[in-house]
Amino acid sequence: MACIPVVTLCDIRITLWFGDALTRLQAREGPEFLEQLVGLILLIAAVQGIFRFLQRWWIVGVSRRFEIELKQELFDKLCGLPLDFHDKSRSGDIVSRLTADVENVRMLLGPGSMYVLSALVFVPGSLFVLWRISPVVTLAMALPLLGVALAMGFLTPRLHSRSTAVQESLAEISHRALESFSGARVVKGYGLERHESRRFEDASRQNREAQIHFSKARGLMHAAIHLAYDLAFLPVLFVGGWAMIDRSIAVGDLFKFIDLGFKVFWPVIALGWIGGLYPRALASAERIQALLSETSHIQDPPDPVPLDAEGIEGELSLSNVSYRYPGAPGPAVEGVHARVPAKSVLGIVGPTGSGKTTLLNLLGRLCDPNGEVRLDGIPPRQLSLATLRGALAYVPQDSFLFSDTYRANIEFGAEEELTDERLAEFIQAAEMTAETAQFRGGLDQLIGERGVTLSGGQRQRSCIARALARDPKVLILDDALSAVDTETEAQLLQNLRRAGEGRTVVIAAHRLGTVKDADQIIALKNGRVDAQGTHEELLERSDWYRETWDRQRMQKELEDL
Amino acid sequence: MRAPEKNARPTEELDEDADVVATKAWDWAVLRRLMRYARPHLRMFGSSFAVLIALFGVQLCGPWILHNAIDGPVTRALEASEAVDDGSVDVQPFLRELGFWAAGYLGLILVGALLRYKEVSQLARTGQFVIHDLRSHLFAHIERLELAFFDENPTGSLVTRVAGDIENLNELFTSGLVVLLFDLVKVLVVLGLLFWVSPELALLVALLTPVLIGVSIVFRGGARRAHRRVRAQLARLNGYLQEVLSGMRVVQIFRREERVSSRFGERLRAYLKSNFRTIFLFALFYPIISWVTLVIQASILWRGGGALYAGTLTFGDFILFWFWLQLFVAPIRELGERYNVLQSAFASAERIFDILDKQPAIAPPARPTPLPDPFRGHVRFENVTFRYGDGEPVVRNVDFEIPPKKTVALVGATGAGKSTLVSLLLRYYDPSEGRVTIDGVDLRETTLASYRRGLGVVLQEDFLFTGSVRDNLVLGRDWVSDGSLVQALKASAAGEFVERLEHGLETEVAERGATLSTGERELVAIARALAGNPRLVILDEATSSVDSATEARIEAATHRLLQERSALVVAHRLSTVRRADRILVMHRGELRESGTHEELLNHGGIYARLHAMQFRDLDGKDDPTG
Repeated sequence: MACIPVVTLCDIRITLWFGDALTRLQAREGPEFLEQLVGLILLIAAVQGIFRFLQRWWIVGVSRRFEIELKQELFDKLCGLPLDFHDKSRSGDIVSRLTADVENVRMLLGPGSMYVLSALVFVPGSLFVLWRISPVVTLAMALPLLGVALAMGFLTPRLHSRSTAVQESLAEISHRALESFSGARVVKGYGLERHESRRFEDASRQNREAQIHFSKARGLMHAAIHLAYDLAFLPVLFVGGWAMIDRSIAVGDLFKFIDLGFKVFWPVIALGWIGGLYPRALASAERIQALLSETSHIQDPPDPVPLDAEGIEGELSLSNVSYRYPGAPGPAVEGVHARVPAKSVLGIVGPTGSGKTTLLNLLGRLCDPNGEVRLDGIPPRQLSLATLRGALAYVPQDSFLFSDTYRANIEFGAEEELTDERLAEFIQAAEMTAETAQFRGGLDQLIGERGVTLSGGQRQRSCIARALARDPKVLILDDALSAVDTETEAQLLQNLRRAGEGRTVVIAAHRLGTVKDADQIIALKNGRVDAQGTHEELLERSDWYRETWDRQRMQKELEDL
Repeated sequence: MRAPEKNARPTEELDEDADVVATKAWDWAVLRRLMRYARPHLRMFGSSFAVLIALFGVQLCGPWILHNAIDGPVTRALEASEAVDDGSVDVQPFLRELGFWAAGYLGLILVGALLRYKEVSQLARTGQFVIHDLRSHLFAHIERLELAFFDENPTGSLVTRVAGDIENLNELFTSGLVVLLFDLVKVLVVLGLLFWVSPELALLVALLTPVLIGVSIVFRGGARRAHRRVRAQLARLNGYLQEVLSGMRVVQIFRREERVSSRFGERLRAYLKSNFRTIFLFALFYPIISWVTLVIQASILWRGGGALYAGTLTFGDFILFWFWLQLFVAPIRELGERYNVLQSAFASAERIFDILDKQPAIAPPARPTPLPDPFRGHVRFENVTFRYGDGEPVVRNVDFEIPPKKTVALVGATGAGKSTLVSLLLRYYDPSEGRVTIDGVDLRETTLASYRRGLGVVLQEDFLFTGSVRDNLVLGRDWVSDGSLVQALKASAAGEFVERLEHGLETEVAERGATLSTGERELVAIARALAGNPRLVILDEATSSVDSATEARIEAATHRLLQERSALVVAHRLSTVRRADRILVMHRGELRESGTHEELLNHGGIYARLHAMQFRDLDGKDDPTG
């Protein structure tokens, strides 16, 4: 921080030396002193350069450190927030908290504070020096500079609203393009190419007009700033000239006005810029604060039963379980009763949107329902999250894997690093041995965005391997077999049966064939239990189950031709 | 964590990098093509240049007025008072002259302010007009390309072409090209003027300037590389954030919050490290540039001071020189920045032209035979074979017909070639061998417009556009009247739930139809097809399971859609198959069986076997899947 006054005061000093030199030359003093002076100026300037380097390095560096600390804090916060928070916030919004909002605050704290501090030293310093030469000229010159700051303060809101309009119209362009390209099959099927082009052209034209509108505000700002700045030189010219004629100031003094006038311009502009930045940064800081003060209602109980995951048997009981998403008109799951004995298999089926995934979320306490989900008869209020989730493994519907090495993805499930032999076992159980053998990088092959792309079925099987690596008491599969072909499914079911031995398995499925051997099956309909029982019992009790079974049977036979 | 080198480059980094690597900074061919889009707006470019020239004049004039005031009335007043000794000179005439120059200056800066406004708004306007033309042209071109193009190119990168790359070009037109060219002119003109004021000092400037340019260029090179690293690290960081957010369920249930947090921390530190490199470079650049500039100024004082003393240079000249020097240095400082803009714009332009150079594979023939409106709808597949590129055929020698107003159902396993036949009939692709005709006309010989006008299309997981339900039903087809819309809603049973929506037909459909359930989306798709009163229906039945009531509604709507129309159906519903006039059984790309339901049952082939299993299954006894 101490660098800032040094740098700015050197700046002022150098101008004064230049001016004084001119005055001495005007007074017919010989040019011999110049060599020494020029040497001194360059030396001081070099020192100033070092301080200028330190100032930037230090302040911007600190602001970057601040940025990563804040990002880490926000990230950790997000990991701790419950699923209903993540479901209700769009991921784009959260990402912009960590990107745009953090950047706004950082700009204010880093470069912003640097410019403000140097302006706060430079502007009064220069005015003070000039005041001592000629109060009248200084005053006449300072007024337009004040005008710069005023103009910026006045025009900035307009600038912002127009720039928002530009951003919105740009977003509309991307949106139009995205929609039209992803709907290419429909667009072509109905011959809508011209129609879509016209719609896009409208969006593009709107952007053009918004950009032009915005540029007018920018032009106005640009003109106002320069006008005020140029006006500052008018008194220098007229009053300064007059004073020179009057012999009350020397030519060197006039030079000081001109040169400091130049130099004071940017700090003033920067002040205006910060003035515009400030409200935005404040709004960002508020949004960040709001995120940081979110609390998770899913907490460890104060006095959990002293039991670790090893001691869990895996019996699940659901009594009158209901769950409604925040803001949803009706419950996603309502009044579900079930008892799943340890080491048995429960199947959950039902049409799309009937509540299968929600029910699975409740088992791992990703959300807290009305009613109770007990594990081994222990109510959730007495079970620590470590014990509960330590006993569970989960295979998600979207087959989520990290863009990381294959090994890291499987080890994600395990508590510690796995030996190659253990890894191979899990991979074998998930029917992925043949595929991983083909990886160029072996088990350290990167997968996902930056590496090889796995097919839907391969991803699903990998998720199963990851879950098995956890050696769970309760294995939860969310429609985990939908993307594999029937042959693999049969193989996989067999492996799962083996892997599932000694475990409780809860499996939600789209294909009824997946669950027909389950000890019991729940058929959901609009969040409620439509029917419950074994496969044979459901064929009799539920129309939906029977019709769907017939239809899928035919599809399956077609597949098997 | 040892990653094989070949896979180590993140794709997002490639994308981010693409605008700064492997492109020439100056490419005449690309520039000439871009100029074609500028040509219709030459007048605007002309006025932009005029504004820049006038503004440059104003910038030069300001210091010149100051110079004239100092060397004119001020100096003469001082000389006069020195000559008189006692200082009792009448300064009024000098003050009047000074006032004259001050008034001139005031007028000048007012004109200047107007020009500054124009500088920004006129340049932006010019650029925006060109950009709008280019963007619309690019989009329309992409729309004309065949479906395979959309399959090959990720949607995201296509969107980047029409959004991000076009924005880069905007920079080229508004702040890049025009200003860069003009900056070059400025530097040369100002240098000339400096020589005019004082050849000795100007020579000094000319000798020291290469240092300034050198520092600027060296720094920009380094800064560009450093920026690239920062961007790549930031992309990795944000990519990981996105990834964890989308996998939060897994992270939490596996209790891996700490593990992902420390991975995020690693990426944060890598990002910080790359940031420090740019901070270092910038922290170094600004002081060095300032110091070099000061060296130039100090040497001017040193040499100029001598000249002032010797009387070969006036104070006015000195101040004029000082001001104009600022005009000379500023563009040089900006040079590197402008160069970067230019380079990235050229890279974007190249990517845009790559797309514009692609000719649509499905193009109308030179002399097309338009189909009558309405056409009869007699479809024939004549010995059709299709392969992607040089690959194995995905359908082989398929030969069948759909007589007018008859329904043909396709059954078979996934990958048996059903979708390919649908794609061929939709003319997403053209057959590799054989031909597809409608009313005896080869699809390749007719116009897409006249053909698609008579089509009704219902695809699996049909796509809904943002807009109202009505927009989605009409889809910009001007021949869909309100009357046919009402009929379509009624016939498809979509009317029931549309009425229940808050704003009825005018209800906005959220992105990708999220406001509607799966079943409702299917009904809307059927209503959409019905609304156009098509002659030929192409239906790819959805496989997702919906509740029984909705299922029954969809079945009824499908039935009504197929009535009295030619239709090709990829069937998943037994009822649809049974009602078809002809059933085609596809197996491994070949047409294996064909006939009515009864015929195929009597034939005793694949279909009969299937059907038998159905019955056995309905008895609920045997379990063939075991």
